[in-house]
Amino acid sequence: MTTLATKKESKALIERLNVFTAFALGAIAAIVVWRLSLALLPADSESAPLFTREDKITLLSMIAWFIGFMTGIGALIGPFRWLRGKDLTHEENMFYAGKDLGVKRYFRYTTDHKVVGIQYLVITMVIFGIGGILAMLIRTNLGKAEGGWIHPQAYNSIVGTHGIIMIVGTIIMVTGPFGNYIMPIMIGARDMAFPRLNALSFWLIVAAAIPLIWAQFIGGISTGWSAYNPLAGQAPLGMNGYIMFICIFAISTMVAGANITTTVVRMRARGMTWNRTPIFIYGIVASVALALPAFPVFFLSQVMSGMDRALGTSFYNTALGGSGWLYENLFWIMGHPEVYVILIPAVAALMEMAPVFTRRPLFSFNVAVMGIAGISGLSILVWAHHMYMSGWAPLLSAPFMLTTELISIPTGMLFLVLVGTLWRGRLWMTVPTLSIFALLWNFMIGGITGIYLSDVPADAFLHGSMFVTAHFHYTLMGAGLTGAIASLIYWFPKMTGKMINKRLSWIAFWLTQIGFNVAFMGMFFVGLQGQPRRVEAYAEIFSKGNLITTIGAYTIMIGMLILLYAVIDSWKNGQAAPMNPWHAKTLEWTVANPVPLENFEVLPTVTSDAYGYGRSK
Amino acid sequence: MSDLRTPEQNYFQSKWWKRKDVKQVMILWIIFTGLIGYFSSKFQVIAMGKPASETMENVISLITTFTWASSPVAGFVAALAIQALSQRRHHGDNPPPEADHNISSSPRATALWLVISALLCLFALVVGLIALQKDDQALLDKNAIHINVTGQQWAWSYDYPGSTGVRSNVLHLPVDQPVVFHVTSKDVKHSFWVVQMGVKIDANPGYITQTVVTPNEIGAFDIRCAELCGLLHAYMQNKVIVESKADYQKWLASQPDTGHTTWTAEGAIE
Repeated sequence: MTTLATKKESKALIERLNVFTAFALGAIAAIVVWRLSLALLPADSESAPLFTREDKITLLSMIAWFIGFMTGIGALIGPFRWLRGKDLTHEENMFYAGKDLGVKRYFRYTTDHKVVGIQYLVITMVIFGIGGILAMLIRTNLGKAEGGWIHPQAYNSIVGTHGIIMIVGTIIMVTGPFGNYIMPIMIGARDMAFPRLNALSFWLIVAAAIPLIWAQFIGGISTGWSAYNPLAGQAPLGMNGYIMFICIFAISTMVAGANITTTVVRMRARGMTWNRTPIFIYGIVASVALALPAFPVFFLSQVMSGMDRALGTSFYNTALGGSGWLYENLFWIMGHPEVYVILIPAVAALMEMAPVFTRRPLFSFNVAVMGIAGISGLSILVWAHHMYMSGWAPLLSAPFMLTTELISIPTGMLFLVLVGTLWRGRLWMTVPTLSIFALLWNFMIGGITGIYLSDVPADAFLHGSMFVTAHFHYTLMGAGLTGAIASLIYWFPKMTGKMINKRLSWIAFWLTQIGFNVAFMGMFFVGLQGQPRRVEAYAEIFSKGNLITTIGAYTIMIGMLILLYAVIDSWKNGQAAPMNPWHAKTLEWTVANPVPLENFEVLPTVTSDAYGYGRSK
Repeated sequence: MSDLRTPEQNYFQSKWWKRKDVKQVMILWIIFTGLIGYFSSKFQVIAMGKPASETMENVISLITTFTWASSPVAGFVAALAIQALSQRRHHGDNPPPEADHNISSSPRATALWLVISALLCLFALVVGLIALQKDDQALLDKNAIHINVTGQQWAWSYDYPGSTGVRSNVLHLPVDQPVVFHVTSKDVKHSFWVVQMGVKIDANPGYITQTVVTPNEIGAFDIRCAELCGLLHAYMQNKVIVESKADYQKWLASQPDTGHTTWTAEGAIE
């Protein structure tokens, strides 16, 4: 900073930009464009089949917000330099990396992967906090049959917002914090391949959040997270917020995916062959590599949705020549790979921890890699099992049933690796160890109920019921979130330099796991009884199961609040962590706390895999 | 090498099934398989209640079949997990001593695991395909009556076959008579779900979809919309009255001609 200041008498532009200028510029841009479009856009003609003026104004203002925010945060400084045939100087790059900036670097366009990792961790927790509050509103409303103290429109909007915000939260919960903070150190690199893209991917998520909040004030997202057309076409202006949110988030995911994939392929330490690359890295790469084909489709599906609303096109409007089934196809071509984008890194993280806490080698590394690859490959061929009952293509039911059920084979491989590693290990009882057991339990239930749903005749009964809701909560929350929380506890010492409070995290673990199983067993029950999803009132026969679910949900909430307290308290006042508290053998434990700016003074050389535990014969 | 075998070699070369931990897992496996299969299928049967059609009977037997087929897998994982958890637990801030072996793979166990999971997958597929085939053939039943179902925000309406032009908001069906539903929607996507009969098909605006069922119980059952369709989605539900053929004919004759439709057996749209 000092070098820059001496160079130019006043503060350089790059030093002035931060999150506050970003919000200010974004807000100004949005207001200006809003006023301009109000004044300049012609009124809808009375004879037009669709009224589009208000949608145009909303979308234009949101795009202006987006451009203003990204300019204000400093995302465009690099590209502008390139336009002028220059690039950032070394001092500017060091400034960008957050050198000597203290806590301020977390509020800037900082390129250091460790800063981005912490930023992701915090935003993930904020997202889960908001999504959790929405979940509690839903469960409270469903506490009794005639519940209904929330207006149906608001209720539908809460359901939709809870859905999309939790999907985004779970997508970033492992690859965001740990993929950014831990992964480069784990492979022995000094940073990501494209540090500026790394900062970009994070700040895009912040930019995306505002349209989603905005949406709540202009009618909400009353369509569920899937936003099926034509329902989305008739939904209030809030849908535009959903569309903008998805488009910006999809760009973020694509950018992060390209960055992480390149980093892992190109920047592993000398000697880290694919056989010696930790399994967690495979999980991260499989996840982002799956996102690379999936999210452009999501992006396009929403662009077309926005055009239907704002430009009067009819991609999805059957009456005008389009098809709602087109939307369903595009949505689920993203939607099914996306669940494995969420799940794979969480399971891989637990596979990474299993040898550490059983003090023996990972059982069948090759099978683990094959399982991850098999799931990734098959998951792009199964999307239409979400559409068995849509009537789109009854003849395709059988082939999609085949591909869907085939996924059970690679999934089984992941189970084999985990139970094989537990077999004859010495269990070091920590929360991550317990999380392995919790994952086995929850993922087993989530996986087997998936087999019922993959079966077309059974799905004719189960589709669209609470059974589906319970099923995917078992996989994404029971398995995915459990893995993410275990990751947080496992890597907390490296990321914060503190040990997490043991007693509190144990209590939080048990409360959330018990609450979770109570809640979603109740939900399975009402689903089998015939309660549809996304309803704000239900028949009397469902009241027992729903009450149980609500009680379970409150238990989860208490557990999560205790965990949150444990994280904040330990981060601030926790006992300082040693360099390698778990006596693990991956590279991230060979660097000091706090991790120096460039991680390694001398880049390490790897001579074996990271699972050399256990006494040899 | 000395003549003494390490425990590791014993494990693979001598009678591994006589090991204490292997025996424990085997016993736990049998117990857990029984418990999981029994309680899960009980849970499912109780929740799903009394079926009102053969289709639903098939759904229930499919689900319990899958439960029993997968309970050995779940039981095995549970047995291994519980066995691991019951032994050699270590608490404290420092790691326990490392394990007494460094097995990092077992081709035999892996192959066995893969073969079994592939067989189970094949089993699920074959069972599912047979059931699917039955449902598909039922659609072609020549004796079926055809009823057209229209969803709109937030109610269902039904048009009955014949020349009477009968339209109702509560579905009436004759018992033991195959019915083909031709389903469409006037506005957004709905999903037509006859709960206790185990059939469901989406109602799409601009398209007609089909499903078929033969109710085999007299009584009143539930129809619910299973696809979020806007403000009052939760209230888009009604009853279906299944009655004897004579009662059904009497009811049909008592209904006024609304002049709404001229439905054909093929379910042509108005």
